[in-house]
Amino acid sequence: MHDAMNNIGQLVSKVLVLDEVGMGFDSLKAFYEECGLVGIRAQKNDAASVMAILKSNVDLGGIMLHENFNDNGLALARDIHAMRPELPIFLRRDAIASVAGLSEKDAAIFRCAYTLNDLQVLKDSLAASIFNRIYPNDLVRGITQITSIALGAVFRNCEIEVETPYLVKDRIIYGEVFSMIAIESGWCRGYMMLQAEESAMMDMIQRAAQADNAQNPQVTFRALNNVLSEATNLVWGAFKNRYVGQEQNPDNLLLTQVPIIINHQRHFISFGSDDPQLCIKYVLRDSLQAHAAPVILFQRFVFNLNWSPDQFRETTVESLVDSGELELF
Amino acid sequence: MAQILVVDDSGTVRNEVSDFLKANGLSVTPAVDGKDGLDKLKSDPGIKLVISDVNMPNMDGITMSEKIRSELNNSAVNIIILTTENNPAMKERGKAAGIKGWIVKPFNGEAVISTLKKLVA
Repeated sequence: MHDAMNNIGQLVSKVLVLDEVGMGFDSLKAFYEECGLVGIRAQKNDAASVMAILKSNVDLGGIMLHENFNDNGLALARDIHAMRPELPIFLRRDAIASVAGLSEKDAAIFRCAYTLNDLQVLKDSLAASIFNRIYPNDLVRGITQITSIALGAVFRNCEIEVETPYLVKDRIIYGEVFSMIAIESGWCRGYMMLQAEESAMMDMIQRAAQADNAQNPQVTFRALNNVLSEATNLVWGAFKNRYVGQEQNPDNLLLTQVPIIINHQRHFISFGSDDPQLCIKYVLRDSLQAHAAPVILFQRFVFNLNWSPDQFRETTVESLVDSGELELF
Repeated sequence: MAQILVVDDSGTVRNEVSDFLKANGLSVTPAVDGKDGLDKLKSDPGIKLVISDVNMPNMDGITMSEKIRSELNNSAVNIIILTTENNPAMKERGKAAGIKGWIVKPFNGEAVISTLKKLVA
């Protein structure tokens, strides 16, 4: 198991960089690293390529745009904002660190405008827009640990790589199949999702079924449902055991709810909250068939109903019996 | 007549546990939730062991266990819970319902098979 878990420090966020490479850009790169931004660049600078990236990248935290990108950064910003309004756009300008000169409508598209001479403006805006949620390191590390164990139990004969967790503002669903389960405690309330592409996962399940049964059983999408459901259940249970513990009906648990909106046409899901979501990417590689395409699984935590990390703690109840062992009463 | 009733809303778990038990010479009936489990036990009272999940739709495993004792008046069948839950309060409720044992998932057949065989003997 690839161990990104021990490398969890500052959470990062992926940003789409629509900015020309130039002399000033190297200092910007250093600034990105300092702020925990991981830049993704378009291979071509035309609008069509940028939109294609937005359609394929579903785990962005924001957009870094230069006003003269593609000779008309403003027009591109309008298109991006129309397509993905949840993604904050940060505008780099050459002369002035403000939205002066833009119409009110255009100015509203951007979270801030900055120049290379004053990156503090950008830093403050990033803190307010993307890094405005604290996720305790111990929690993030623990989540990757329990999830890797759960995935290993369900997807046998797989090597599991865990990428560095990051913060996401995207509301686009990855792939065609996802599970969702509620997480309820006194200090956090929301949902966990596991998202995957159906075909890659079906192929993996089919290979496992064939390895178990020489008569080539037909595997339908319902088998995938079962597998994903059990993986979700295992993660949820481990999360509860470790981070909810003995809490049953805490006095301050107000059972509010908000509608969850899903648009299948646009692969869009909204939980009613603008806050960044914790996203962790797992890559499952079949260790028995090295040539097989890996399965990519995105795990997202959306604590839209309550998030009180100051009250986060791990349960101290130790189990007398390991998981899988029978505890007789 | 089956020896063991496996109750879990997850097809993956039902198949995994059932296949393992059958490979070890035991006969199995599956059920998809607590209500189905009650119905299956009612129609096959010779079942000696129930292995059940807790978190299931329609009826959870603890409630099913309580009803096995009260409504079916069956105090003989051994009940083992197989769940992600490791909550002491839930275990206490299970004990009060006459549950014999508790396994936190994932299922490790080799670790438990000898005890399970004793429970159906």
